[in-house]
Amino acid sequence: MNRRTFWGFTVPSVAVMLLLMVFPLLTTVWLGFHKLLLRDLNNPEWIGFGNYTDLLSDPEFWAAFRFTMVFVAIVVPATMILGLCTALLLDRVGRGRSVYLAALLLPFIVTPVVGSLVYKDLFERGGLLSWLWEVITDDPFAVNSGNVKWLIIIQAIWNIMPFAMITFFAGLQTLPGERVEAAAIDGANFWRNLWHVILPHLRVLILFVGLISIMDAYRVYDQVFVWTGNRFTDAHTLQVYNVRIATAFDIGRLGKGNAMAVLTVIGIFVVLIPFLWRSYKDQIEERV
Amino acid sequence: MRKTTPLSRFGLHATLVALVVWSVLPFVWTFQTSIKFTRDVAAKKPVLWGYETTANAYKAFWLDADDINMWSVLVYILAVAAICFVLGQIGRRVRHGWPWFLGVAGVIFAALWRFPKIWEANDEYDFLINSIVVTVLTMLISLSIGLLAGYGLARYTGISGAVILIIALGFRALPRTAFVLPYFFGAKEIDDWLTRTGVGSWNFPLIDFPGIDTLQILDTRLAIVLALVAVNQPFTIWMFRSFFMEVPKEIEEAAMMDGATRLQAFRKVIIPMMWPAIIATGLFTMLLAYNEYLFVRVLAPTEWTLPVAIVSLTGGESSRTITEAAAASVSITLPIVVVIILFQKHLVKGLGAGAVKG
Repeated sequence: MNRRTFWGFTVPSVAVMLLLMVFPLLTTVWLGFHKLLLRDLNNPEWIGFGNYTDLLSDPEFWAAFRFTMVFVAIVVPATMILGLCTALLLDRVGRGRSVYLAALLLPFIVTPVVGSLVYKDLFERGGLLSWLWEVITDDPFAVNSGNVKWLIIIQAIWNIMPFAMITFFAGLQTLPGERVEAAAIDGANFWRNLWHVILPHLRVLILFVGLISIMDAYRVYDQVFVWTGNRFTDAHTLQVYNVRIATAFDIGRLGKGNAMAVLTVIGIFVVLIPFLWRSYKDQIEERV
Repeated sequence: MRKTTPLSRFGLHATLVALVVWSVLPFVWTFQTSIKFTRDVAAKKPVLWGYETTANAYKAFWLDADDINMWSVLVYILAVAAICFVLGQIGRRVRHGWPWFLGVAGVIFAALWRFPKIWEANDEYDFLINSIVVTVLTMLISLSIGLLAGYGLARYTGISGAVILIIALGFRALPRTAFVLPYFFGAKEIDDWLTRTGVGSWNFPLIDFPGIDTLQILDTRLAIVLALVAVNQPFTIWMFRSFFMEVPKEIEEAAMMDGATRLQAFRKVIIPMMWPAIIATGLFTMLLAYNEYLFVRVLAPTEWTLPVAIVSLTGGESSRTITEAAAASVSITLPIVVVIILFQKHLVKGLGAGAVKG
């Protein structure tokens, strides 16, 4: 395909991305250097790095940063291990597989805010699990600033585990049967089989799922917002904090919010750059 | 071959059933809440079975309006069904080329855009209609431009292709706030300009639908659709590219040998082979648009879609009862359940394909 045809095909998509992704991103950087209030959008005032120093000295920013790191550090490994185990189990099922699959996929497919709402219902007053808690411990249960972090984390595992499961499951379908059989003939037990045959086969997928999960956990918004609203500021993630400072009614600081967005972008790129570089190399290699 | 004893099989299914319970328990509980009477919901000890059922919550959520016109709602549902049917037919047998397709798409666009507002329905229907309009339009636009770009990127071997792909991959990772705040600011600026110059109140013959007096960006479905199309592009082009890579070049080269142009070969030979890919990518696009919360909340303060409506209506100060909130949650989830049951295979394949190439 020659260059002109190529651009003919890609121009609509590239135009959309330039206009609605590159340009807004530059706007974000530009706005981040301004003092800009939500109720007075017409008078941006250049303050250099003012927003950034303001952010870095805000204890709520650091609280959000800490909780986001804890969130990623727990949710990502937990979903991957649980997902892998479920995929391995599912792989052994003959009949009834699609029924299990549909049921297990539901938390992942459902609207995130609704997923959190229904999960939260279990722990509300009169909810099934809060009642169970009361029966077991004899203490009434209420969502408070202490336990909400754990509830958010558990619900997030519930929410994204199916993604790891389904991807690993798809990967297991492509595992050549002979290799498993050869290992079985050699007398390999389940664990050796897992370690020497299955995990190496899934290596690329594990990397892929890990990366996507880190990205998604890092920028989680909907689910956490449903649990906390504007309360429980200890349990706010970076995104919730970001939206709160930028769009709070009447006191929203859009400039500071944009500076915060820039910081989040830098944060994710620190993780991503090696991966992007490797993909770029792969792409170039594919072309020669 | 693996030996399976009845005991190990029992253990396997028991574990899986436990996992299924953990997955669907919240939904079962919410569904139960939605069909209970308030007194059972308020009971201190949860009533798990043997309760009286009622559809009051659903009635309250969907039919609670003074001037609801059931006929108009019925007509609307029929219209949507007809549109879906027509779209299906187009997908299967259109051979009349782009003008025809664009004509049909334009009619659907116009219909979805304006019709519903003519009827004074319940608020909830506005949200439902907004959800449908946003989802359908996002899918139409996002998939058409993504399909073209994915094909170009799969076949072109120059460096610029690699650069576009990597930049798109980077965008795929960015948090929503990096986009939603500048969108908000930009839309506000454009709206201000439209008001200041008076352009906003011009009468354009083609877009002068009844009920629209002024042109604006903020708080319209258009804003949501544009935002969603943009953030969905990186995913769409990567997905389509990976599917196109699996189609051998020789196929369209043979067609071009026979005198077809590149575009003809693409449309008549390649596209018909791509339906599974289009369905898989379309499913993810649909879920993205249907489930979106943050963009709608910030860019459309009143033109809510269902997720925003549900969160707002179930908020603390709202007078709605727990049962009604549960009914709302069940109502919004049902279409998704239908989708997974119908398209499970495509979903699994789509995730697999995206993953293997990713």
